[in-house]
Amino acid sequence: MLKEITIGQFFPGRSLLHKLDPRTKLVLTFVYIVALFLVRNFFGLFLMAGFAGLGVLISRIPLKTVWKSIRALVFIVIFTAVLQLLYHSDGDVLWRPFPGKEFAVTWDGVYSAVFLVLRIVALVVMSSLLTYTTSPTMLTDAIERLLSPLKVFHVKVHSLAMMMTIALRFIPTLIEELDIIMNAQKARGAKLDAGKLSERLKSMVSIFIPLFVSAFRRAAELAVAMECRCYTDGANRSRLKIMRFSRLDLLWLFVHVAVVFAALFTSFYPMGSFFLFQPVI
Amino acid sequence: MDRAEILRFDHVSYIYEEEEASAVKAVDDLSFSVKEGEFLAVLGHNGSGKSTVARLANGLYLPTEGKVFAADMDTADPACEIDVRKTVGVVFQNPDNQIVASIVEEDVAFGPENLNLPQKEIRRRVDAALDAVGMTEYAGHETHRLSGGQKQRVAIAGIIAMRPRCLVLDEPTAMLDPRGRADVMKTLISLNRDLGIAVVLITHFMDEAAGADRVLLMKNGRRAALETPDRIFSEPGRLTACGLELPDAAKLCDCLRKRGVKVPPEVYREEQLLAYLFKRLPER
Repeated sequence: MLKEITIGQFFPGRSLLHKLDPRTKLVLTFVYIVALFLVRNFFGLFLMAGFAGLGVLISRIPLKTVWKSIRALVFIVIFTAVLQLLYHSDGDVLWRPFPGKEFAVTWDGVYSAVFLVLRIVALVVMSSLLTYTTSPTMLTDAIERLLSPLKVFHVKVHSLAMMMTIALRFIPTLIEELDIIMNAQKARGAKLDAGKLSERLKSMVSIFIPLFVSAFRRAAELAVAMECRCYTDGANRSRLKIMRFSRLDLLWLFVHVAVVFAALFTSFYPMGSFFLFQPVI
Repeated sequence: MDRAEILRFDHVSYIYEEEEASAVKAVDDLSFSVKEGEFLAVLGHNGSGKSTVARLANGLYLPTEGKVFAADMDTADPACEIDVRKTVGVVFQNPDNQIVASIVEEDVAFGPENLNLPQKEIRRRVDAALDAVGMTEYAGHETHRLSGGQKQRVAIAGIIAMRPRCLVLDEPTAMLDPRGRADVMKTLISLNRDLGIAVVLITHFMDEAAGADRVLLMKNGRRAALETPDRIFSEPGRLTACGLELPDAAKLCDCLRKRGVKVPPEVYREEQLLAYLFKRLPER
């Protein structure tokens, strides 16, 4: 089960999105997410969500993989949708589940629910695309470059980036380890998913202590191995892969900005049709 | 055979936790040297100090007494630190804890990147290192999806990419399945023969030591013997005194000798024994 987690994973490939400068992708994903929260009508949202879909097609990441990362958040999505249905009492009444009571499901609620669900899905898809198409090293390199102005304030940008690289590298290793520890404790009679909440929390301790001990041991060994490979403080390191802002990046930047601009324009200058309906959120 | 020495231990002692009451002398007055292009196996029981030898070889630990020289550089000299590590590369037991990056080629590039080499040179070294360990087709793969043997070969490539003249491996096959072990051993032999890299293989698998040029036998941090494998394996008493057992083929040779079969002393490896027995068949 644990092995099915695909968030934050990288899928090597040769698509257009794989070839883009990681800095371009990082900044544009950030812009996209901010815009997603500013868009206030369906036209803009459809445009944005459609763009995320286009991204998936271009990246040639299997739809099944993308679906897995959405599925991981299915609880949050349903929870949000139900809350929206409950909280909206304005608008035309669609259904009164309890006759004689004030409570009603309204069209406003339905629109808001659909709107929010679509927004979350678009958010997950677009941010997953970033990690699916960018190797962790490139991603942290890009973060290092983008944050490098902070060096003026004596922030150790390289150390931060190296920490992120190692964290991403060890996620699958530690997930595997967690799986092994859980099975080992089950084999010793631990009841991990039964009993009262307090009992379950207690049994969690028997999983996390070995996991932490092992993580510290790994960290110590990795530090020694890095020393053997002449790692010092990272001040003077060259790179195997050099980031270049190419014409491809310029093209993608242009398309991306155009989509975001169009979506935001309709939000702030509504022209009043069904698609421009603005749910109250 | 007058080759230069690439690694030399000169009356080296190393004490863990020197200040405390629990001080342990892991290595005790150890002297030996490794020549350019040589294959040396270090054998010893658990706690014989063989892992400490690996960490002393490139200055991760500095000797409490005595000196370690890597290509005539004193490992205790801070000015030589990087050059020592470039000359003597060390590979450890658990490949998972040596791999820094998520993608094979990015990991192999880690060492050369630290040496601040130009990008083209890094590319060349990464490709050459992956080729040397037979992992070229996996360059773009994710490291965590590889098998144990493949991961260990990537870890070796990561060291090879720094172009060391001596490779020290601390039980590199201990965590691997038989297939992974065989692949790693094949890689080490080809690195030694084809690229002329001196190999110091620290192991407790007797059969891995059988193919070495010389064997260093360790007991309680001291040197019990430093000889060619045929002499080490023709004297089982000395091995058992160190808590070790003969490799299966050598054990069979020993039994045969005791039964009066005149197996020549230079025969101790499986293929040699097979050839010898085959030759003797028509006599009976």
